[in-house]
Amino acid sequence: MLTVMVAAGSLILVASDAAPDRIPSFVTWSAENIAAASSGDAFRGSLLAKRCDHCHGAEGFSPVASTPNLAGMNMLSIWKQLEDFRSHKRRSRPMEPIAESLTPRDVADVVSYYAELPVFPDPQDNRVFPGMQPEAGRAAVAARLVTFGDGERGIPPCQSCHGPVAYRVGVPSLMAQNGDYVLNQLEMFASRSRFNDINLPMRTIAALLSEDERRALAEYYGAGLGLQPAGSSGSK
Amino acid sequence: MNWRKVRIFVFTLLALCLIPATRYYQIDEPLLKLLRGSNHIDPLSLHLSGEFVENNLGTEQDADGSVTVRMIAQQYLFVPHCILVPAGVPVHLKITSADAVHSLTLNGTNYAVKTLPGTVSLAELQFPRTGDYKTVCREFCGAGHYAMRSEFKVVPRDQFPALRAGERGACVLQ
Repeated sequence: MLTVMVAAGSLILVASDAAPDRIPSFVTWSAENIAAASSGDAFRGSLLAKRCDHCHGAEGFSPVASTPNLAGMNMLSIWKQLEDFRSHKRRSRPMEPIAESLTPRDVADVVSYYAELPVFPDPQDNRVFPGMQPEAGRAAVAARLVTFGDGERGIPPCQSCHGPVAYRVGVPSLMAQNGDYVLNQLEMFASRSRFNDINLPMRTIAALLSEDERRALAEYYGAGLGLQPAGSSGSK
Repeated sequence: MNWRKVRIFVFTLLALCLIPATRYYQIDEPLLKLLRGSNHIDPLSLHLSGEFVENNLGTEQDADGSVTVRMIAQQYLFVPHCILVPAGVPVHLKITSADAVHSLTLNGTNYAVKTLPGTVSLAELQFPRTGDYKTVCREFCGAGHYAMRSEFKVVPRDQFPALRAGERGACVLQ
């Protein structure tokens, strides 16, 4: 149980005496887990993923902006989210029962299938990605955060973990993600209603960002501007 | 006896001894601990059990009036991001890394604590003056290294809240 009190001009987080260890996720990035998550059969995964098509799109691009795109996503990140849904460490009414119904092999296969889907545009598809281009000023705010972060406030650049410059193990790629989904997740991390980030990186960063910055970042990624490293082309 | 060979051998030996003799202070303490096998901690499962679980991070009040601060360094954040400590009391810092080698350096002080995955680095700090001490990572740790900063907020002793057993203090994120 958490209570909050005010002292010394600062809020103090107080855990009760009997609080058990708060565990954000049961996933660890051990060699066995990484091998298990990376050893799926993409063809079998493509058959299993038929039931995911309705929400996540036949080509891994969702027709609804608040639902995540899965095409081209790194295997380990989808694997971790499915494991967290299964252990109820990440809450989602539709996804928890679906994840529970999958065997470990199913998870590895589905993950392997989505990781192989391409992210190039397809006019036949009813995807919402990429969305509207953001207004130039807001895009500049987001581009600065994506490229440089904000050293003064201790906010690291998004692209140093979420690509395309670098990835941390198990961190999702945001290059082809829907804006509304990104915004929802940032808001949930900031309010701590999503809490499955190991060692609190996203809960900390989302809370450091202002509401406008969170919105600007969501628009930036939702418009497909994250497909290239920010600042890589001279015209930006 | 070939004195020339003996001289070369002795001088080579002396030269080799000079390297550790003059550079001993650069040998990392956490590295020595890792080699000795003591103080070992699994960096991949910090969040599952042990003293670095989420709700044990931050400032803990000890019975003798001193405080213990537990932190995790990871690419590219120190967690908790802002640490609240009282001025003028001993601060026992325990920090470990979840991924790479980091170095917690407190601006305006001489304190610099190097941490690497697999060991817990211990440091004894004390802040005579109140104020905000910015911290930076001074060991290159990857693409976002330069933005890896956090803060120690030092408040007067009487303004530091009395924490009960099991309670951990941390300042609110601004």
